[in-house]
Amino acid sequence: MTETKKSPFLPKIGKLLKSPSFIVICILIVMLVITASLQPGFFKPNTINSNINSFAPLILLTMGQAIVIIAGGLDLSIGYATSMMVVILTNVMQKDKPESAIPAILLAFVACILVGTINGLCVGYLKLPPLIVTYATSYIWLGIGLFIAPSPKGTCIPWVRTFYTFSAIPNLPEGLKDLSKILAPGFWLIVIGCIVWGIVRRGRTGRYIYAVGSNRENAYASGINTSKTQLKAYILCALFAFLCALFYAAQNQSGDARMGNPLTLKSVAAAVIGGIALEGGKGSVYMGIVGAIIYSIVTKIIFFADISSSYQTLVAGIVVLLAVSASLIFKFIEKREKLKVVK
Amino acid sequence: MAILEARNIKKHFSGVTALAGTSLSCDKGKITGLLGANGSGKSTISKIITGVYSADSGDVFFEGQKVVFKNPLDAKKAGISMVFQNLSLAPDMKVWENIVLGMEKGKGIFLDNADARRISREILDRLYPKINIESKVSALSPGEKQIVEIAKALTVKPKVLILDEPTAALEQEQVRALFRYLNELRSQDIAMIFTSHRMNEVLELCDDIVVFRNGENVGKLDFSVDKKDPDRIVEMITGQKADQATRKVYHDLPDEDILEIKQFKYGNLLEASLKLRKHEILGIGGLAGQGQELLLNVIAGAVPDARATAVVDGKEVPLKSPKTAIRNGIVLVPGDRNLEGLFVDNSVYKNIRIPKLALKGQPLFTPDKKYREEAEEIVKRLNIVTSSIDNPVGNLSGGNAQKVVVGKWLPFDIKVLLLADPAKGVDVIAKRDMYELVSKMAEENDLGVIVYATDNDELISYCDRVLLMFEGRIVAELNKEEITDQNLVAKSMHMEPKEASV
Repeated sequence: MTETKKSPFLPKIGKLLKSPSFIVICILIVMLVITASLQPGFFKPNTINSNINSFAPLILLTMGQAIVIIAGGLDLSIGYATSMMVVILTNVMQKDKPESAIPAILLAFVACILVGTINGLCVGYLKLPPLIVTYATSYIWLGIGLFIAPSPKGTCIPWVRTFYTFSAIPNLPEGLKDLSKILAPGFWLIVIGCIVWGIVRRGRTGRYIYAVGSNRENAYASGINTSKTQLKAYILCALFAFLCALFYAAQNQSGDARMGNPLTLKSVAAAVIGGIALEGGKGSVYMGIVGAIIYSIVTKIIFFADISSSYQTLVAGIVVLLAVSASLIFKFIEKREKLKVVK
Repeated sequence: MAILEARNIKKHFSGVTALAGTSLSCDKGKITGLLGANGSGKSTISKIITGVYSADSGDVFFEGQKVVFKNPLDAKKAGISMVFQNLSLAPDMKVWENIVLGMEKGKGIFLDNADARRISREILDRLYPKINIESKVSALSPGEKQIVEIAKALTVKPKVLILDEPTAALEQEQVRALFRYLNELRSQDIAMIFTSHRMNEVLELCDDIVVFRNGENVGKLDFSVDKKDPDRIVEMITGQKADQATRKVYHDLPDEDILEIKQFKYGNLLEASLKLRKHEILGIGGLAGQGQELLLNVIAGAVPDARATAVVDGKEVPLKSPKTAIRNGIVLVPGDRNLEGLFVDNSVYKNIRIPKLALKGQPLFTPDKKYREEAEEIVKRLNIVTSSIDNPVGNLSGGNAQKVVVGKWLPFDIKVLLLADPAKGVDVIAKRDMYELVSKMAEENDLGVIVYATDNDELISYCDRVLLMFEGRIVAELNKEEITDQNLVAKSMHMEPKEASV
């Protein structure tokens, strides 16, 4: 990535083979092969399309979660925050009033900024433990969601549905519709997420997020405003929840305040599978995408493996536990590398 | 006229006077050595100048103007850079990212990484070119990390550079490189304040010195006028007549081994074997970071992967866990006492009691009264200065805290006492007390002692025998009178021909 041109090619390969990301990507490839053999027509555009769409929400949330974890935090409110935004979106929108989508999206966006700011202020400025803070705030988001929609309700007007499928738009040219058949809108949302993080990563904020997560006191001693950095990380995380909420609103066309709950811990597990260390400062947000795909495929394989549905969650739990322990391999490799340092 | 002057600085920390109206100044193109025992206020005044702390009263003048900095970055931007004793690096980030951390230049919305790499490379090329700017800081040796920390202070060319014990973690070669660079900076008219516990370094490098004692400036020597007299400086630091770095009075040791470590090999890191006699104080020396601390950890059972075996007092013991080692009488006083040796928030009593729980056959409920009496006795015996045994260890001075770490092992039937750099962060007087205590314990309790010391004076003054390590191996052994400064330095630099090409 940042190697100088001078370095010869072969050592570079050697370095790649030992990098944690390489192992994760290998796992991903193995998983893909298994799924392809189980799911008929895995490589058909339609299947790819639906797979991407079904993975997209977890991928988006994992990216957000990854940012917060790298900054040395954790967000246990991400799931309920998402469903709260979905509830806002679907209940502000009114059937047959296309213009009502604009205040809906704006309101959801305001909610998103509030979510990030409140979490960020508590963790960054009040220095409360992230685990407790976000666990507590998650119930605030749930409460607001239930206040608006005590039971699942709401609607989604057609043009907003483009966040789930392009074919919902009446007058779209055929060419664009075909594009959506191959590359689903979920894919484009992930691309937007990647671009946002790509810009942040190359700027001051991205650098500081890693520095704060790596060692908060030392970052502070270096003159970094650590509180502000953590606040920004939480706001970024909420932005990913917002993208995810747009997708869900378009997909479900109604809002359920409780819907996001299972996603929270899934996003943490997926981030860890992607090699993002919970102690902060380590890993890559993009690898979080890979982690989320692996996690999603695990559930998929279990589904195709014809395991009785009553055991599916049990098996899924075990597989995730194994995948997370696999991340210990990184530490083992690191330790072995250190043994070699002294000649 | 002085470029930087701190006048009449007063500072109290929760009732304790750290600085009692102290002044300090430095001049362009000069290196001022700042000396004093621990807790004499050296670090405090530097931190007040650079805005880490604010003074209770007193002023700081920089280039004739009164200044108050909000934080170190503020001071750095104004031209006063400080290298802290505790590193401020982000371990998971690359060297160049760390060097510019907090001072990044932008290029549009992105950061100018090419420029950051160039600056880092430039500084390190002149300071210590061996460091690869693309490697992660966590992969560097302690000395290299310290160098990166120094480089970090130089991203903006300072007018005043304050170095707080920059050489503590450095190897000899790195100290040379640093001094060359500091001399270069001196010729560029930069003023420097240099803090160190190592007398010879101060004498070699500094143009003048200032001595602090108990938060007061007790004197200044200008080497263009005054003689470089170490005895006089020690006298100024301690306030007492200087104790010569005296050679130990050797006693005859009983002809009986208390400990034998059989030959073992741990990856490429360590390969060793050794024997220790009763009453013997065995020093482990050599350049910093040659596996000395690892060796002590192996003996203490903390590195089970090494699969080493010991013979303690005739009994064979596999070194598979600290618990096994402790139960067989091998105890370790770790180098980082706050992290590995103590529970700093807990009381002296609790710290002394805790290892007892590792013994077999303890009653279900701890007999508090009995333990408290025992703790009181230990505190009395070791002269630990504390208001009561319920005082948190964190409130004690470095020397007294160190005694607690040793003291907690006293109720045990110790056979081997391991000390990792026991004088680190301890002042001259506490250091002497410490070693006297250990020497006395060795004789009275029939112990063998192994001590890893970074300071050659400690090896000369207190050890019967010294093993020198280089790259994870014991390369030389010095007995009694052979332990001289010259021998120690020469043998430490041990180079086998095959390593010369590395």
